[in-house]
Formats: sequence, structure tokens, C-alpha cells
Amino acid sequence: MTDAFPNAVSVVALAPLVALVGALVNGLFGRGMREPLAGVLASAAVAVAFVLSFVAFVAYPAGGDGYRYVFAEFLSAGELTVDLGFLIDQLSLVMCLVITGVGFLIHVYSIGYMKGDPGHARYFAQLNLFVAAMLVLVLADSFPLMFVGWEGVGVCSFLLIGFWYEQRANADAARKAFIVNRVGDVGFLVAMFLTFKVFGTLDVSAVRAAAPAMAYGAPALTAIGLLLLVAAAGKSAQLPLQLWLPDAMAGPTPVSALIHAATMVTAGVYLIARTGDVFAQAPAAAATVAWVGVLTALVAAVAAFAQTDIKRVLAYSTISQVGFMVAAVGAGAYWAGVFHVVTHAFFKALLFLGAGSVIHALGGEQDVRRMGGLGKRMRVTGTTSLVATLAIAGVPLLSGFFSKDAILSGTLTSSLLADSGGPVLFALLLLTAVLTAAYMFRWYYLVFAGEERLTAEAKAHVHESPSVMTVPLVVLAVGSVLAGYLGIQAFIGRNLIAEWLAPVTAAVQFDHLSLGAEWALVLASALAAAAGLGAGYWLYHVDKGRTVKRLEPTPAAVLARSGMGFDAAAQAVLVRPGESVAEGLAVLDRDLVDRGLAAPVAAVPLLGRLMTLWQTGYVRLYALAMLAGAVAVAAVALIAGVLR
Amino acid sequence: MIWFLIVAALALAGGVLVVTARQPVHAALGLVGTLLAVAVMYVMLDAHFLAAIQVIVYAGAVMVLFLFVIMLLNVEQQPPTTRWRWLRPTAWGLGLLGAVAVAGTVLSQRRPVPDQAAVDAVLQGGDAERIGTVLFSEYLLAFHLVAVLLLTGVVAAVSLVQRDGEDRERPAVAAFEEDPGMRASEPA
Amino acid sequence: MSVPSEYFVALSAVLFGLGAVGVVTRRSAILVFLSIEMMLNAANLAIVAFARQWTVTGGVHALEGQGAVFIVLAVAAAEVAVGLGILVAIFRHRVTTDVDQLAEVRA
Repeated sequence: MTDAFPNAVSVVALAPLVALVGALVNGLFGRGMREPLAGVLASAAVAVAFVLSFVAFVAYPAGGDGYRYVFAEFLSAGELTVDLGFLIDQLSLVMCLVITGVGFLIHVYSIGYMKGDPGHARYFAQLNLFVAAMLVLVLADSFPLMFVGWEGVGVCSFLLIGFWYEQRANADAARKAFIVNRVGDVGFLVAMFLTFKVFGTLDVSAVRAAAPAMAYGAPALTAIGLLLLVAAAGKSAQLPLQLWLPDAMAGPTPVSALIHAATMVTAGVYLIARTGDVFAQAPAAAATVAWVGVLTALVAAVAAFAQTDIKRVLAYSTISQVGFMVAAVGAGAYWAGVFHVVTHAFFKALLFLGAGSVIHALGGEQDVRRMGGLGKRMRVTGTTSLVATLAIAGVPLLSGFFSKDAILSGTLTSSLLADSGGPVLFALLLLTAVLTAAYMFRWYYLVFAGEERLTAEAKAHVHESPSVMTVPLVVLAVGSVLAGYLGIQAFIGRNLIAEWLAPVTAAVQFDHLSLGAEWALVLASALAAAAGLGAGYWLYHVDKGRTVKRLEPTPAAVLARSGMGFDAAAQAVLVRPGESVAEGLAVLDRDLVDRGLAAPVAAVPLLGRLMTLWQTGYVRLYALAMLAGAVAVAAVALIAGVLR
Repeated sequence: MIWFLIVAALALAGGVLVVTARQPVHAALGLVGTLLAVAVMYVMLDAHFLAAIQVIVYAGAVMVLFLFVIMLLNVEQQPPTTRWRWLRPTAWGLGLLGAVAVAGTVLSQRRPVPDQAAVDAVLQGGDAERIGTVLFSEYLLAFHLVAVLLLTGVVAAVSLVQRDGEDRERPAVAAFEEDPGMRASEPA
Repeated sequence: MSVPSEYFVALSAVLFGLGAVGVVTRRSAILVFLSIEMMLNAANLAIVAFARQWTVTGGVHALEGQGAVFIVLAVAAAEVAVGLGILVAIFRHRVTTDVDQLAEVRA
């Protein structure tokens, strides 16, 4: 670990600062700027950040073990000292590239999407702020600094989901996201406390170095792992904290693309990949992570089938795909998880931006039942969305195929999952892959193909989006195709990404498969994609959706539509008791405290009025008073025995 | 002893009448009874001169004056009180409480009854000569001051009931209107 | 056998109490006055009783008690005269002797 500062690699440390400056400029002066200026400034800031990341990437020596740049002391309390610094290694560079690269494209797209919106300067300021926070998160060299970035992206997510806050529903969705995230944050915090207790330091590299020496399967390590899982589940929308992501679609579509597809939701994956050394020593925790990921993927895939909002389908798809990534890092195949982060960033961002393009073209329509046949009218959007659909379905030679296959083989062969049903996980993931292909076909078909079901006003409105929006789509489509070649299976060719990430991720044992088995796996992935797409084709094109319509009123379908009942469960178990407690306390406060305090206040005029009774002017009362006084004096004297 | 009890009962009866009688004249007569009973007690206590003075001055002059004023002002029968109903019971309670307390204390600290011969030796019946001796020797100043006080009282009483000189110059009608008190002095 | 002095004092206390009750209870000013007179009387009785008791110890001083009562009697008589005069004067102005209606001491 070199500390030479500065050198070519260190320039990436400036990236968060650039984004922050962009945010400040737009935040403070954005109100007065003319239309594209705010967006251009913000995009430029992210572009500069991308250039810095790229320079650092190129200058980084392959096989190096990271550079650490310490700026200052963050906090020092007793035995705890935390430094403010960045850890620049292969993992953080990959993440930076994805964040700034995809982020830049989304910024450019937003210039077109947010055109005419009165708050567009605020939007770009918040988007830049998000990029800055996310960069801090991935570059942090210590858990507290990472937590700063963690919280930062949470806040920006809140701000951006509730961007059009005048509608109550949007504000509620933002609040829901923040609160559910908070639950994850608690996990992060307690994990930090426990880490300090066990390792004596909160420095990421130090923890990573110390982990292999710890007892294998120690309960403390398992606890840390599980808590980190809670944190990841909150941020990455895994079971049972996935509630917030579908509602987060209330924000502008580019926000959904950047935050809830490409970057923030992958923060949890990054966290587990970073702390992989801990998980490698705590197989129970790792297995839990894998199971959570797989179950989430499956449940979300089922729910995606029943959604009718163009963005909600993609939201559940995101939950499902992140489940894949989480399963991968849970299995110990850290490079596979990160690989899927990269490919998913391309095709999911593309899908969301395509959806945004459609929404924009139809003047705000988001219900797929009122779309159809748009591929003919919006050529660029339609074609790029098709590419993305095929990529996510796992069609061979597109990026999704390679990353998904990597994950599948990882779960099957991982030694960490050997005792926890690795093969079962594999089977479930394969099933989910089939479902993924099917529901994505449904999505594409209902929006772009088939018969037109547009409303009259939408039909009049529909047009292809301006180039400021379509060019990013094309770029992302190219990425969706080519990104897969970073991670070609090792038995076929050179696995660039696995090699790149190897020095900085924990080494986990994987069973070695025979060549035949490897090819069988590849074939299985391809077949899964085909099966899913075929099923979708039959259900919607051949059968024209008749079977689907018959199945709609079934309880299973209803459950799927509502997101598999998690929202209802959360309402009953958490929200309503919480509300009753709040009600009860409010009553307590209102009636007891307020009235209780008002009573003494009322007592004062009462006391005054009591006093006035004394001054009546009626001699009889005075005489009575004198009599009473005399009797009292006599009584006292008698009792005191004066008259003895 | 028996005489004491009878006289005491009379005194108490008179006292209760003063406090509770509806008609003012009854109350005044009650007080007369009490005064006379007290005079008898003075005799029992070997204060004969005082007993005589009590009857002449108090029961004789003062009460007559009271009765005069009662009839002059035509004091009405006491209407029952509507206001402060708690006043009456409270007053009774307090008064009796105080009385009983003092009485109880006194009765619980008995001193030996003085021998009649000894009393006679000192008081000699409390006749005028003895009282006079005391008043004109040690309490001469007090005696003269009381005289001045009586003079003041006479002057005050006369001036209070005297009417202003202005009233006389007004015609009779005006005086009539202005002075409703005149009506009371009409022959009943 | 002579009556113990304490009995007279006890009677005096009761009469005094009755008088006090009368002062507070009565509505007509004249009746209040009557009650006051009763109180004075009760006090006088007490003094005379104690005066007799003093013969045991004090000797000559016993007579001073009776002298005091004499003076009190005189003062009481003067007080009654003046008081009734005031009452008559008030009655001329107000037609009423009700103590409650004479409550505005200022006026």
C-alpha cells in the first residue's frame, strides 16, 4: 500500500470534490440560470469526474494492492482514531467509473427530460450532490467515512424521490424510502461498533488484513456479517426492506435510472464485496446473504409479472437483479457480483431512460395497458429498449448473459455455500432467470409491440425524444452489448474483470468444474433465457393475453400485484401499532400535559378572585373574621398552656 | 349554689333572647334580664355598690335609651338572611367554641374558694365608701378622665342629633322631602 | 358555701361568646349594639369575680377590680349614647339600619 501523494492515480480523489462544487454552484446560483445552463454545468462536473476516474484507472498498476491517501484526522476519541482518507484500489475504481460514466449519460439525458421544469436547477444540484456522496462512499478508507457517503446518498435519494413534493404521494414515498433506509443504517452502525470491538480499528484495509487471522466461524464475525447484511438490505432493497423501491418510482425517471438502478442500490453489494474477508471467515453469515439475495430475486420476479406501471415493473426487476448480485457476493464470488453491477448499470439505466422517453412522449402516461406498438413510432427508443430487454434476459453474447452465468456458476460451486444448499440456490436462481426473461418480454411487448392501446390525446402527442435524450440511450445500448466481454468465462477466454478485482477481494474456494459441466452451465443459462422469452411470446403474442387475463383475479395474481404482501404486512405489524402509540401519546400530551399545565394557569385569576372576597365592605364578615381570629388566639394560648 | 344556678340560667336565657329574638324589643328586654341577673351576681360577689350602679345606670338608663331609639327608628322585624347562609352556623360554632374553651380552661384550674370572713375583711361588702376610697386615691386620674369622657359623650350625642342650620330656613315641604327620617317620628 | 369564682368566669365566657355571635349574626345595627353591651357586661362580671378571688392573696388590690368595673360602666354608658346618636344620624340619611346595606364604608 503506497502512500505517495500525489500521483496520477490520486487525481480520482478530486472527483467527489468536483461533483460537490457542481452541486454548490447549481444550488446557490441555479435559480437565475437560463434553461440548459444548470444541466450543462452539472453534466460537465460529472464528465470531469469521469475523466479523473479514467485517468486514475489507466494509471493504476495492475495487480497493485491499493493506494491510501489520508487528508486529515477524522475523529480521535480514546482508543479510537479514524482518519479522513481515500482508499483507491481496483474495486473503488470500477465503481467510480460506473458511477461517473453512467451518471454522466444520465445527466445529459436529464437536460432533455427536465426541460421546462421550474425546479430543474435544484434537480441538478441534488443529482450532483448524489454523485459526490456516492463517490465518497466507494472511495472511503474507513467505515465512518463510508457511512458519511452512505447517509449522503440516502438523503439525496430522499430529496430526489420527493422532487415533486407538492404531491403528497411523492413526499410519502420519499419518507418511506428514508425510513426503511434508516433501518439498514442501524445495522451499519451496530456493525461498526462490533467491528471496533472485535478488530480494534475502523479502517477498511486494516480490518481486511486482520480478518483471515480470526477464528473461522466465530460468532462475533457472523454477527458483523449479519449486521452488514441488514445495512445492505436497506440500501439495496432486499428482503424484507425492499418496500421502498417500488414507491420510489415517484421521482423523475432519470433519478430512478441513476439511483435506483445503477448506483445507490448497488452500494450494499459494494459493502459486502469490500468486507468480503470478514464473510469468508463467517460462512453462516455468507450463506444468509446468499439466501436473502436468492429469495429476494425470486419474490421480486414474481411480483414484476403483475405490475401495470411501466416503471414499477422495472423497479421490481431491479430488486430482483440486485438479489442476483447479493447472492453472488454471498457465495463469495465477489467479482461476479461487481461484474453484474457493471452490466446491470448499463441495461437497467437504459431500460429506465427508455421508459422515461416513452413517458415523456406520451405526455405523462405510465400505465402499460394504455401503451403498445410504440416501437414503430419511436424507433430509437424502441430499438435500444429491445437491446436492453434481451441483455437482461440473458440472451447469449449480450452482457447480461455473461454476468448472470458467472453468478450461477458461483452459487453452484462455492465452498462457502457447500453446507447451505448451494445447488438449491443455483436452481432457484435459474428459475428466476427464466422468470426474468418472461416478465421483461411482457414489458417490452406491452409497451413497444402488439396493438396500439393509446388514448386519443397520447396518440396525438407521441413523438421520438430529442437527441439529447436518445444519444445517451444509444451509448448505453452499446455498453449493454459490449460490457459482457469484460467477464468472459475463464474456460473460454480471459476473464478481465475477475483478474482485475482479484487482489482486492477475498479469496474463496470454488469447486473446479469439468469442461463438460462448464459448457452445460452455459447451455442452461441460454436455455433459461430462451424459455423465458418463449413463454412470454406465447402468452402475449400467440395467446394474445387470454390466459393472462383469466389468471388475473386469482389470489396469487392479486398478491403479486401488491408486491407480495410486504406492504400490507408492514402496515399491520409496524405502521398501525406505531400510529396507535403515537395517538395514545398525543392524547396523553394533549389532555394530561396541556390541561395539567393550563390548570395552574387558571388558578392564578382564581386566587385573585379569592382575595377580592376579603374586601367586601361588609362589617359582619369583618366581625366574623375578628371573632375567628380571637378564638384562634385563645385556642393557641390554651393549647400552649399559657393560662396555667 | 342553687341560687347561682338559677340566676345563671336567667342570665343565659336573656342572652339567648338578645341573640335570637326576631323583634328588637324582645331582644332589648332580654338584655335587661341579663343585666339584672348580672346585678344579682354582683351581690353574690360582695360588690353591692356595683350591683346598685348596674341596675341604675345600665338596666335603667342605657336600656331605656335603647328602647327609645328602637321605637324612634321603628326598627323592623329582622328579615331572614338570604345572603351568606354559612355565616350564622359558622358564627355560632366559633362563638360557642371559644366560650367553651375558655370556660373549660378556667374550670379546670380551680383555686381555693376564699373564706367569707376573709372576703368581708377586705371588701367589706364593696360599699360606696370603699369604692370611693379607691377611686379618689389611686385612680384619681382615671376617674377624672372618665368624667371628661362622659362630657365628650354628651356633647357628641347632642351634636349628632342636631340638625343643620340650613334645614330650618327651607320651607316645610322641602324639609319633608329631604328628611325621610321625619316620617318615623310621626305618632304611630 | 360560696360559689367558686371559676363558675362566674365560665358564665362570663359563655355570655361573651353569645354576645360575639350576636354581633356577627344580627342584621340591624341596634341589635348589634345590644350584643356589644352584653359582651361588655360579661367582661365586667369576670372582673368582679376575679376581684373577689384576689382577696385571698392581694388584699387591697381586690377593691381595684371593682373600681375598674365602675369605670367600665361609665365608659359603656357614654359609648351607648354616642353610638345611638350615630345610628340616628345614619338613619336620617339612609332610612335603613341594615348593616349589610350600610356596607359602603367609604360613602
